[in-house]
Parts: sequence; structure tokens; C-alpha cells
Amino acid sequence: MNSAENTSSSNILSIKNLNKIYNNGFHALNNICFDVKRGEFLVIIGLSGSGKSTLLRCINRLHDPSSGEILFNGVDVTQLKGQKLRELRKQAAMIFQHFNLIPRYSVLSNVLMGRLSSTSTLASLFSQFSAKDKKQALEYLRLVGIEEKASLRVDQLSGGQQQRVAIARALSQNPKILLADEPVASLDPATCHTVMDYLKKVNQELNITVICNLHFLSLVKQYATRVIALRKGEIVYQGHPSEITPEWFTKIYGEEAREVHVN
Amino acid sequence: MKTYNFFSIKAIFFDAINFAVVGSILTVAILHPTEEQLLSLHRNALVFLIFFIVGSGLSSILISCCYGKKQSEIKKIISSRYKTLGAHLFESPKYKLNHSTHSFFSTVWGWQLLLTLVLVFITGAIQTHFSFGELFDPQGLNSASQLFRQIASPDWSILPIAVLKVIETIFIAFMATVLAIPIAFFLAFLSAKNIMKHPLAFAFYGLMRTFLNIIRSIEPIIWAIIFSVWVGIGSFSGMLALMIHSVASLTKQYSEIVESVNEGPIEGIQSTGANLIQTIWFAIVPQVVLPYISFTIYRWDINVRMATIIGFAGGGGIGTLLNQYSMRAMWPQVGCLIVVIAAVVWFMDMASAYLRESLK
Repeated sequence: MNSAENTSSSNILSIKNLNKIYNNGFHALNNICFDVKRGEFLVIIGLSGSGKSTLLRCINRLHDPSSGEILFNGVDVTQLKGQKLRELRKQAAMIFQHFNLIPRYSVLSNVLMGRLSSTSTLASLFSQFSAKDKKQALEYLRLVGIEEKASLRVDQLSGGQQQRVAIARALSQNPKILLADEPVASLDPATCHTVMDYLKKVNQELNITVICNLHFLSLVKQYATRVIALRKGEIVYQGHPSEITPEWFTKIYGEEAREVHVN
Repeated sequence: MKTYNFFSIKAIFFDAINFAVVGSILTVAILHPTEEQLLSLHRNALVFLIFFIVGSGLSSILISCCYGKKQSEIKKIISSRYKTLGAHLFESPKYKLNHSTHSFFSTVWGWQLLLTLVLVFITGAIQTHFSFGELFDPQGLNSASQLFRQIASPDWSILPIAVLKVIETIFIAFMATVLAIPIAFFLAFLSAKNIMKHPLAFAFYGLMRTFLNIIRSIEPIIWAIIFSVWVGIGSFSGMLALMIHSVASLTKQYSEIVESVNEGPIEGIQSTGANLIQTIWFAIVPQVVLPYISFTIYRWDINVRMATIIGFAGGGGIGTLLNQYSMRAMWPQVGCLIVVIAAVVWFMDMASAYLRESLK
């Protein structure tokens, strides 16, 4: 009992026997089990369709898992509804491959979207965010280095800048964990590193646990503190990034795969 | 069953109706029934039904000829000429038969199409009493040219009242559109598939769609008659009639825009822990607002034209005036009204096109 409590306090997330079967019968996740410790930078790798995105979306319940448990801070979140579900999403912020910002809004307005769950519905409909929220939003924009763009429309920014706005939006939720779904997959190699560096900064300076889906093994080795590899909805590798040998690489990506370096 | 049942139901149904229509036309042509016989709905429906059943039988035989089990490629090509028009229209890409080897007059579907078109055209000409004799009858031509001459010399003395009434018409259309906007805005979300995902909500969505389709299929002129009994003849009843129709039309157009929004921002806003209303307001509304305005301006434009027609059924505005003058055969006055209406419609058309262009 005591030891169980100890492990749960060092684990921010604990996933047990997680399954996801889509309505069309596709078995996207098959008996996934793993723990995430506080402060980790966990990277999930695997081919497209291996279940990485589904896994992240099950954690913040954008998708509903079919069976299994997801313990977030010791509480099973798989059955949450209403206000409690929104509270979970607030604490488990997410950024996306295509940023998912509101194109016609300003950078600052987009960052303030992170405060929606903490603002009353009526006040938010009239965009009445508190002065404190605005100040904090600007601070997060400074953290990701685009404070001077705050009043620009977000669709005027480059891809890398938009992803930094998305990070600032996620941070303004004051999350405990940050889920990043292929955050650099639609960016050019140079911008890739900028965005990854900011994620690392968020992880180390703000002590926010990061779970990140990635394609490139070279990025994994540079940023991850731990790696999980998925193949066809199952975990095929778990461990330190430096331990990924060429044998493991072919096992994860298949026989014909060849490693690509991003510099 | 067999491998072709993916599309065969639709195809057989089409062929059966086709056969029943052609059969009924031929029956009338051959038997020359009396007026009384034509009015006996029960018996005629039975005849139609019999043709329908025979047609579906024929169609299913021909379709199984084409798509049933075959051994050789050459047999497939030979039998594909027996394909019916229904099969040709509705065949699934999975079982697409190679029909380029036959010219269309050596196929069943080709003759079926030709026969149907010819028969339907002849029936149409008879039904509409089409007659060149009447069109070029000297007496008719003479009175038509007199009428044109009178309309072409408009009586400008009624211009003040015409302008006053056309302003009324524009405002009937304006109020109908403006009052329809908030109702349609609200209903659009309830009739959008991507919002109403929950099973219970989806049932409500189906109900909404059916209800709106019924409302929309009732022409505004009928609504005008209903409302002129309800609130009395005049511009108020015309406005209400147009409003009902606008609500139904705008809801359908708005909901189609909602259904085509980009899912990304929705996911983005949801992931922040926002509730349903916040998600709609911040992720969907910004995406739909410009197309909404564009459709709404176009609806106003349409409503101005419709308001004129509705005037004939007691809806007020310039339509009522036009109705009065034409009933009394006051053609020069009618001419003046036509000029005013044409000018306003032309102007509204241009203005709405310019406005919508600027919103892109």
C-alpha cells in the first residue's frame, strides 16, 4: 500500500492495459502499459498509423479509450465527464502538428484561449479576460520569443512562430503535463530545432512533464530523456534514447527504413 | 446474395420507374382512354404498379446477366451490352464494366435512354398543348404587339407611388432577412452533422432537417396566403412569409458551412478545456462568419425579387400595385412599374455581387 502510494506520487501518469478500437474496427492501441515520471521528456516514436496520435488523444480524452486505465495524478480519467473532463484537459495541455490556432485572431487572443476553462462562459464570449491573464499571456509569449508579434494576426506568422504561439497557449493553461503531437512534422529542419528547444526549455525551466510524438530519431536522441516506440498499436521498445541500436531501429520502422538526420 | 447488390437496388428501382413511365405513356397512346378513365386514380395506379413490378423483374434479369458469375473476359464484354440504364448510372466503381467496346445504339441502356427521352418529350408537348399555330396566330400576334406598345410607353405620372411602393418592397425583404438571421444562426448549429454527434442529438438533427425541408418546399407565395388570412393583407404578411422561407433556406446554407469547417481549431480549443459554447464561439464562428454574411446578402437580394411576386398574393409592396394595374389592363402603368422593378433588381444584383466579392 505504502509503496504503491510512493510510486503514484513520482508518476504523474500511469497507463494500464489501454485499448482503443475505432468504430470501423481498427485496433489502434493494443494493451498499452507505461508510466511517466514527473519532469520527464518522454518521446513516443513510430510510423504513421502506429497509434502515437491516438495515444496522446486518449490521455486528454479528445478520443475515448475502449478499455484500460489512465491514472493522471493517481486518478483514473477514462470515465470523466463535464467539468471534471475540462479540468483534465486544462491540466494536460496539447499542441498539434498543424498548430490548430484560430487563423483570424491575433497572437495574444490565441494565447488567451488557454484561459477559457478558467473564465466564465459569459465573460469569455465577450473576450473579457482578466488583466492578470493578459499579462501572463504576454510573459509566455516572451518565453517563446515572439512577444513583439502579440498584436499581429496569427495567420501572418510562419509555421515555426505559429507553433510557438501554440506552446504559449498551452502554457497559459498552467498545465501539469504537455502533450505534443508531432509538433515539428510540418516545419522545416531549421525551425524544428527552435521549436524543440522551446519545448525543452518548458520542460526544464517550468518543470512541466512533456510527452512528445516524433518522427526523426536524431531529434529523439537530442531531446528525449526516455523513449517509447510503438508499432501497430503495441509498445515494441522502452528505454533510454542512446540505447536505440540499428537493430532496434529496423524493428521499429521496418526492414526498408533508413535513418534520416535533421540538422 | 450476389456481388452486385451494392448498387443493384438503386439501379433496379430506377429501371422499374423508367419502365413504368414508358409503359404508362404507351398504354395511353395505344388505348386512348376517356377522360373518366384517366381520372380513375386507383386503377391507373395499379397499372403503373404492374409496369413497375414487370420493369424491376426485367431489370434484375438483365443486371444479373451482366454482373453475375462469368468465366472469361470475352463473355464479360459481350454481356455488358445488356446493361440497363439504371445499372449504367448507379454501377459502383468496383464493378465497373468495360462499355467502351459497344457503341451506344448496340446496347440496352442506349435504346432505353433514347426511347424514354423521345416518349417523354412527345408527352410533354401534348401536356403543355404546344402549338406553333397558336404562337403565330395573326390575331394573337396583333393583340400582343398592341400590349407591348402600351407597356413600352410607360405612364410616368405614377412614378412617385411606384417608388414609394418599391421602397416598401425593399424593406419587406430587408426585415424578412434581418429577422431570419438570428433564428437561422441558432438553428444552423442544431442542424449540423458535426455538432450533433451524440445519438440523441443526431435524432434531433434528423428531425430538424426534415422539418426545414418541409418548410422550404412550401413556396413563399403559399405562406403569403396563409399569413394574409392570419394578420391581414399587406406588407406585414408578405414580410412574415418571406421570413419563414428565409429561416429555412439560411439555416440549410449556414449548417452546410458549419459542416465544412476545419476541424483543427475545434480540436485546439477543446484541448484547452473549453466547454461546448466556448468551442462553438471561438473555433467555429470565426470560420463561418464571412460566408454567413455573403449568403445573407444574397438572400436579401433573392428576397427583393420574391417580395415582388408575393405582392400578387396579398403581400404588399410594389407587387400588389402591379397586380391591381394588370387586372385592370392598365398597360402603360404596368410598363412604369416594370421599369422601376427592373432597375431595383438590377441594382440589388450588382450591389450584392460587389459586396460579396469584397468579403472573400
